[in-house]
Amino acid sequence: MINTTKHDHDIVAVRPGAERLTAFNAKTFKDEVVALIDDGVTSLLIDFKDVTFLDSSGLGALAGILKKIGHRGDLVICGLNSDITQMFRICRMDRVFKIYRDVPTALQTMSEAT
Amino acid sequence: MTSRTFHMPNRIDAVDPMVLALKGQLEGILADETMFRFDICLSEALANLVVHAKTDNENAQIEVTLDFTESIVKAEVSDPDGAQAFDIRDNATELSNVDEMAESGRGLGLILECADAVDYGMVRNRNRLSMTFLQRT
Repeated sequence: MINTTKHDHDIVAVRPGAERLTAFNAKTFKDEVVALIDDGVTSLLIDFKDVTFLDSSGLGALAGILKKIGHRGDLVICGLNSDITQMFRICRMDRVFKIYRDVPTALQTMSEAT
Repeated sequence: MTSRTFHMPNRIDAVDPMVLALKGQLEGILADETMFRFDICLSEALANLVVHAKTDNENAQIEVTLDFTESIVKAEVSDPDGAQAFDIRDNATELSNVDEMAESGRGLGLILECADAVDYGMVRNRNRLSMTFLQRT
């Protein structure tokens, strides 16, 4: 379901490929991103530009991906709409993830860190 | 007060289409903030029901009733026939107590956080979860 784009500095951008990331598809999303990590990707940018809604299963999938990448790499999120931003705030996950406005901003920050 | 009743199969792939159909009934009536809370609660409640309310009858349907005006929406979700009673108020974990790295355990707390009122009990021989949303203007 995911779409990936490779950028400079070995950063891989992932778009979830669904408007709603929910109990129906969150496990598939997580499994596909974890497969990227297993294949050696260590700098991940997840772009939510095309995602309109995220439920607790979607948040749980992101937590699982963050745990998987651990200290071996970097996971950054961008493109959150107001509803998803609010979801992160309610669940206090805005304190857990590095969140940027859009892909260019996230890429610049990630590139400067490498 | 307008009332509408919907039925959905007891399957996880039926949840998102059901929630979108319910939201469609409220389009132009609910403010964005209320619609967001409605979306969260119905998505979590229906997914929780599908995952946990197992029944012997695979064809048992989940019934959702909407009662709404311009200022209040009440969504009532009836368990499928044969499902064990499950009161989310007794089983939810407060979001502030959920481990930040947990991969599950937020759904029921989200319902209690986002709905203005939550009730659960037996109505006409079926267990029913009731969630009320007030327009906050």
